[in-house]
Amino acid sequence: MKAGRMYKLIERFAGAAGLLLIFGATSVAAGTLEEPTGPVLLTISGEIENTNGEGTAAFDLEMLRALGATEVTTDTIWTPGTITFTGVELKTLLEHVGATGTEIDATAINNYTVVVPVEDAVEDGPILAYEMDGRLMSRRDKGPLWLIYPYASNAAYRTEVIYSRSIWQLDRMAID
Amino acid sequence: MTLANGFRRAGRDVLLALAFLCLVAIAVLVKDVVKELRFLSSADSDNVHWTLSQAEVEFLEFRNAVNWARTVPETPLSTVIVEFDVFYSRTSTLANGSQYSPLREDPAFDAPLVEVRDRLNGMIPLIDGPREDLRAGLDDLAAQIEDMRALVRSIATTGLQHFALESDELRTSLATTLLRLAVFTGLLLLALAALLMHAYRTAQQTDKRGKELAIAYARLNTILNTSLDAVVVTDTEGRVQNFNPAAERIFGRRLKDVRNKHIGDIIVPEHLREAHDRGMARFAADGERRVIGQGRVKLEGMRANGEVFPVELAIETAHAGEEQLLVAFLRDISHRVASENELVQARDKALAGEQAKAEFLAMMTHEIRTPLNGILGNLSLMEDTKLSSDQARYMRNMKISGELLMRHVDAVLDVARFESGADTAQEDVTHLGHLMQDLVDSQTSAAHAHGNALQWGWVGTPEEWVEVDSSRLQQILLNLVGNAIKFTREGRISIEAEMIEPGEPAQIEIRVSDTGSGIAEGDLARIFEDFQTVSHQVSDSVGGTGLGLGIVRRFVQAMGGEIGVESTLGEGSTFWLRIPVMPAEEPSEDKGALPESEAPSDLEILLVEDNDINMQLAYEVLVGMGHHVTEARDGQEAVDVANKRPFDLVLMDIRMPVMDGLTATKMIREGDGPNWDAPIVAFSANVLPEARDRFAAAGMSDFLGKPLQRSELAQIIVRFCAGRERRVTLDGTTPLLVKKKESPMEKLRARYISETSALFEWLAGLPEDTQAIANRAHQIAGSAAAFGQPGVREALLLVEQVAESGDREDLVIAINEAQAAWKAAPEPSLIS
Repeated sequence: MKAGRMYKLIERFAGAAGLLLIFGATSVAAGTLEEPTGPVLLTISGEIENTNGEGTAAFDLEMLRALGATEVTTDTIWTPGTITFTGVELKTLLEHVGATGTEIDATAINNYTVVVPVEDAVEDGPILAYEMDGRLMSRRDKGPLWLIYPYASNAAYRTEVIYSRSIWQLDRMAID
Repeated sequence: MTLANGFRRAGRDVLLALAFLCLVAIAVLVKDVVKELRFLSSADSDNVHWTLSQAEVEFLEFRNAVNWARTVPETPLSTVIVEFDVFYSRTSTLANGSQYSPLREDPAFDAPLVEVRDRLNGMIPLIDGPREDLRAGLDDLAAQIEDMRALVRSIATTGLQHFALESDELRTSLATTLLRLAVFTGLLLLALAALLMHAYRTAQQTDKRGKELAIAYARLNTILNTSLDAVVVTDTEGRVQNFNPAAERIFGRRLKDVRNKHIGDIIVPEHLREAHDRGMARFAADGERRVIGQGRVKLEGMRANGEVFPVELAIETAHAGEEQLLVAFLRDISHRVASENELVQARDKALAGEQAKAEFLAMMTHEIRTPLNGILGNLSLMEDTKLSSDQARYMRNMKISGELLMRHVDAVLDVARFESGADTAQEDVTHLGHLMQDLVDSQTSAAHAHGNALQWGWVGTPEEWVEVDSSRLQQILLNLVGNAIKFTREGRISIEAEMIEPGEPAQIEIRVSDTGSGIAEGDLARIFEDFQTVSHQVSDSVGGTGLGLGIVRRFVQAMGGEIGVESTLGEGSTFWLRIPVMPAEEPSEDKGALPESEAPSDLEILLVEDNDINMQLAYEVLVGMGHHVTEARDGQEAVDVANKRPFDLVLMDIRMPVMDGLTATKMIREGDGPNWDAPIVAFSANVLPEARDRFAAAGMSDFLGKPLQRSELAQIIVRFCAGRERRVTLDGTTPLLVKKKESPMEKLRARYISETSALFEWLAGLPEDTQAIANRAHQIAGSAAAFGQPGVREALLLVEQVAESGDREDLVIAINEAQAAWKAAPEPSLIS
């Protein structure tokens, strides 16, 4: 159990580093985001500076794509074989909305909610995947958005806690 | 100690190996634990229990959505679709997720899952179809969901059971690993504890050794301080590091004064300093060692007061840590050297004494033999003259006695040689009857003088010819008979010879009995010892050296026999002796000796002799034998003559003035004169065997003893000159001296008188040349005895001796005494 604690420590440091980056990124000016034109895949609420609704930021697929695509190739404990996920980095997304909180309440379409610390949002960290092996993910295939950590490239991501944060069928995020 | 150390070291190594193994095992186990902990922490399971329950929850959500849509028709159907997708997604995870693959191998889990998935897939056309169809099919959908409920329940429970078991196994495995870890850690701790003990013990030992070292150092210091030898320690440059109390005492310097000073300036004498510096430089340059490590070396040391004294020293190198040291042990051996020198001097003196003794013995032989030579020589000459029968008998008696005297002299020499271990038996074949008869004949007149009858005879069977050392036997008997005659008056002396039968080897017993005074019982035991005389009424009048019976005993013993005496005081004595004899065949006539008649005559002979009388005797004999004689007075003259013309034979005296016979012989042999290969025969009274060896070494061909015997001379001539081509013919040669027939003895006597008178006249003037005095005195002394003037001879010999010592005051006294002796001497006469 000692080892487990150690990993938590590592996470905390990593989180602190992430926090620094976030604060560094808050220089982006507060303002309004463009309106989504397609079906809304994700709605972010809570402590954010940039919005396009009543204190919320809604994103359609195009808007997410516009934030830059990041690929994570990994196996997961839920899927067979190795899969290449494509999505937007959580870090980029939070910077884009000017998130200032420390926790993210991520909620799935069936209202299943997990808490993801903002520290998790680091470079080469988790992405909000919308494509699996180049194909958009359907709801039946854990789409439309799935918070994927790069499990294969970092042992620190192969923990039960991270697995529990890897929420699929995500459609809402509230920043506290 | 070393063995114990070995064990201890081995034990330590074993412990270290054990500890290392424990560490490796612990490392492996820790790795296992970390792996298991990581497995626990990384927990690929994503909280599988929850996921499984969640499947059931989502199934119920889906069922509720369908039921709600049936009961409230205006409800939008999107909720049903979303819940379907959510549940469908969950079943996909169960069917595809890697962590469920072991679970899927269990048909109790897999079969209901496949069934549920089939049914869900069967629902998709309805779900994805038009909403009206979906709404119409809701009842049917609800019925299907009710059918699935048991299946979903089964999936959840079997899954949960499986993961509960897996969890148990994991715990057991972890517990085992941890237990192993604990065991190995315990072992490691034990090993470490043992090592700690070992370290503690080592530390204690180090401490103990340190104390021991301190004690050893103190002991060493004590030894150094109490050593009788100086111990000086220097560095390789020669600077003094230590100087023990003995060194302080020997060299007279204090350690505090000499520390770090150069050893060469302190204890090396000035004359050795340069060599010392060179040696140190050599050692420093290339480690060359001449004195160092060479063991004991004798050198000289110098004290503080500059005194140089002999030392014995040994230098060794030693290492004290990195530093190289020279350790010198020095011993003051001045006392020893002094003692050695004294010993050497004492030995030299002793050797000189021995030498003097040997020379004395040779001199004695020479000086006794010279007058004897005269007597016997003259007897030989007289035999050739016309004699009455009485005179012939007296002649024979005189000759026998003379020869016996000569043998007596030889016997004294024999004793000396016997004592020096150089004696050897000289056995020859002898006719015992003749030997006895000759003895009796020679002693008859002496016996008659005391009114004694002397006779001999065999008892039992006579053994005439025997092998025995006849010369000794004759001397033994002469002694015994002489004694018997001496101590008997008006009595009878009888000699009995008897072969003792049986015996191997054969022994003869000879008894000499007299009717004389006898010997007291108390004296019987000591009479055979040297210098023992018996105080006696009769013997007082005759005297004696007391050596006679001692010589007799020695000879008898040397011949392997025994001797004894039986005596009754006042009635007479019987001396008996038993000696082994070897019966022998009668030798053929003249065996071994060449007949004199075959000796060639008319030989040219060079006679070298410094003594006029001896010269004259030899001359007469040689000329009498028909040879031509050339005379030479000394070695130099002999060499000169020998270089001019060849000789058939050279007779060479040894002791001569100017040049002795040995040197002359060498010069003749090594020169290129005509006589280099001529026979040169030594002609000397010195009959000691070592003298003969010396003659041979000088190149002399043979030896001829003095007095000159016709028979011996003839033998020599036959041996060297018979059958040889004559080296010289008479033609063209003129002998220096011609045959003298007219009273040569009278001429000699006149010459002796004139020469002696001339000597004393010359001596009266006290000449400066002491060597000349010695030589001339010696020359006349040699003749004086022959002319019946022993007093003159003694006095002149003293003059010679003193002259050689160079003491002029003593010389004057000696010359005066010699003058007196000359005046007091009887008329010189060869005949007497």
